[in-house]
Amino acid sequence: MTTAGRRRQQQLFSLQPLDAKTQSPLFQRRRLAQEEDMGHSPQVLTLNGHGDGGGVSLGGGGGASANMSLGRAVCARCGEGFSMDEQIVNSNGQLFHTQCFVCAQCFQPFPEGRFFEFEGRKYCEHDFCVLFAPSCAKCGEFISGRVIKAMNASWHPECFRCFSCGKVLADEGFVKNQGRALCRDCNAAEKAKGLGKYVCFKCHSIIDGGHLKWKGEAFHPYHFNCHSCGVELKEDAREKDGELYCLRCHDKMGIPICGACRRPIEDRVIHAMGKTWHVEHFVCAKCEKPFLGTRHYEKKGLAYCEIHYHQLFGNICFVCNNIINGDVFSAFNKAWCTKCFACSICDRKMNQKTKFFEFDQKPVCKNCYDKFPSELKKRLKKAYDEAVKSGKAA
Amino acid sequence: MSSKIKKLVDEARESENPELDLVDKGIVNILEIPGFASLSNLSKLVLAHNKITSVPPSIANFLNLETIILFNNQIEELPTTLSSMPKLKILNVGMNRLNSLPRGFGACPVLEVLDVTYNNLSENSLPANFFCLDTLRALYLGDNDFEHLPPEIGRLKNLQILVLRDNDLVAVPKELGELNRLRELHIQGNRLTVLPPELGSLDLVGSKQVFKAGSNHWVAPITEQFQIGVSHVFDYIRSDTYKFLYGRHISAGAAPPPKTSDKSKKVSRSQKK
Repeated sequence: MTTAGRRRQQQLFSLQPLDAKTQSPLFQRRRLAQEEDMGHSPQVLTLNGHGDGGGVSLGGGGGASANMSLGRAVCARCGEGFSMDEQIVNSNGQLFHTQCFVCAQCFQPFPEGRFFEFEGRKYCEHDFCVLFAPSCAKCGEFISGRVIKAMNASWHPECFRCFSCGKVLADEGFVKNQGRALCRDCNAAEKAKGLGKYVCFKCHSIIDGGHLKWKGEAFHPYHFNCHSCGVELKEDAREKDGELYCLRCHDKMGIPICGACRRPIEDRVIHAMGKTWHVEHFVCAKCEKPFLGTRHYEKKGLAYCEIHYHQLFGNICFVCNNIINGDVFSAFNKAWCTKCFACSICDRKMNQKTKFFEFDQKPVCKNCYDKFPSELKKRLKKAYDEAVKSGKAA
Repeated sequence: MSSKIKKLVDEARESENPELDLVDKGIVNILEIPGFASLSNLSKLVLAHNKITSVPPSIANFLNLETIILFNNQIEELPTTLSSMPKLKILNVGMNRLNSLPRGFGACPVLEVLDVTYNNLSENSLPANFFCLDTLRALYLGDNDFEHLPPEIGRLKNLQILVLRDNDLVAVPKELGELNRLRELHIQGNRLTVLPPELGSLDLVGSKQVFKAGSNHWVAPITEQFQIGVSHVFDYIRSDTYKFLYGRHISAGAAPPPKTSDKSKKVSRSQKK
């Protein structure tokens, strides 16, 4: 039998016209692998078994194989010799048992004899691609032929398109916009449209409603769920310890909530009235000015500044109009300091034991009241009786 | 009697904070109080329950006077000089026979409490500048003859107490609603039928507030609210229902209720015999 040398035309990668200077390590790896492949065409030999001195003429296009003594030849893979009548594979001068001429990864014969050699090992096309070929960032398929390296990824030329209009960008170039590749026209349009708006860091489209800031980037809130209850988040979601929570869950986690605006306090916290407050929200219940550290007065769950506390709760003397320090006389929704508490008519001083009458919500001593004209006393008595009656009725 | 008065005047002169208390001493003429002119530092003058018929203009020479009480006398007129008193804070001329307040009275610089209860005053007897008294915190106009309260009342921004008890008021001005410090309003014993909805801005229903409005001629819906409680009255006059009703009531222009109270027995009416 004659040696049947077969040489299959390799379908070689037609890589983009990059040269040996290209920086990409993957490209270089592939380039080298390709160069090695170029020369590798397996040959199948059949030993004719006529004596051990007989030279074997290797056929095939390579045709350059030297004569060799098959008697001493060993398989390049397993190191065993060859028996007579055994098929031998010659690949660039290396001889193999047919069962040894297999893919280094899957140990299967090379389909149609095609193999790829890398770092001294031979792989079938599939395993070579799996192990060493780039895959496209868009379709996930391996890329053979021209590879577009862009946006920190590899792409089929027909897969690398404008994010917005879908135009193929391989030859015309592109602009990076918010993590997207855009053609120049679309980039200009996006820029105009998104002026002053946030672009979602996740889906790269413009955020029309409220955005959610997380780790310094803006997102559509609906890309996230509450870390606690799982509800889809809205723009009012809040971060705590690196996780996002809906407002409801966030508020339940022991963050101080302002007693006035009911929102969490992130800056200085005022503790007063058994509640927590934003500095600027702890204010006088009357004039609504913040206390800013000045003294406040509490009454029925509300806080007041000094002036309004006294004004509202009668601790300003009705007569001298000064804030009362010390004992207070209270009557008819008014207050008096001890020095001013007197009959409103004769100015005679009164004390806790003095009996007095009410006249237009002012105190009148018995002496003065007795001097009132009888028609007035009659009217006052009538009004008093009516008030008592309606008071009882109600 | 006169010697007793003289003793009191002498005591007042020697005290550091001179106050003169001559209550119920039968005094007719202030100028006849012995040694009175020498009390130049007087800060308080109490002459209630006397028979004084006029106040001399020279009272304004007492530059330190802060309080003057002339309650229950027979004064018919006050001097115009009162408005020049630099420290006068409290003036009580209640229960006299005043038919007017003096011209220019509104120029009193620091007047805080004015009590003219039980006189014969009306809107026509107030001086033109009366509502310039923006230091007033209490104004007692009870037992007088007001039928209309001038809308300028809204200029008395510091007013906390306003008494209009037992007058002849047929309406109150909506400007009352601008008195946002008001905490006492007495309008009982008048001829009122409705309240301006603007009064809804007042806070008069708290425990520290006083709102007296009985003995009037309130329209039925307001009377009903009064029966439930004062807070309901204010809730009601803030409602759109009431605003509509009030508008209709005003445009109907019904005649005010008649005067029912007989004031002829008031001692302020008495004339010298």
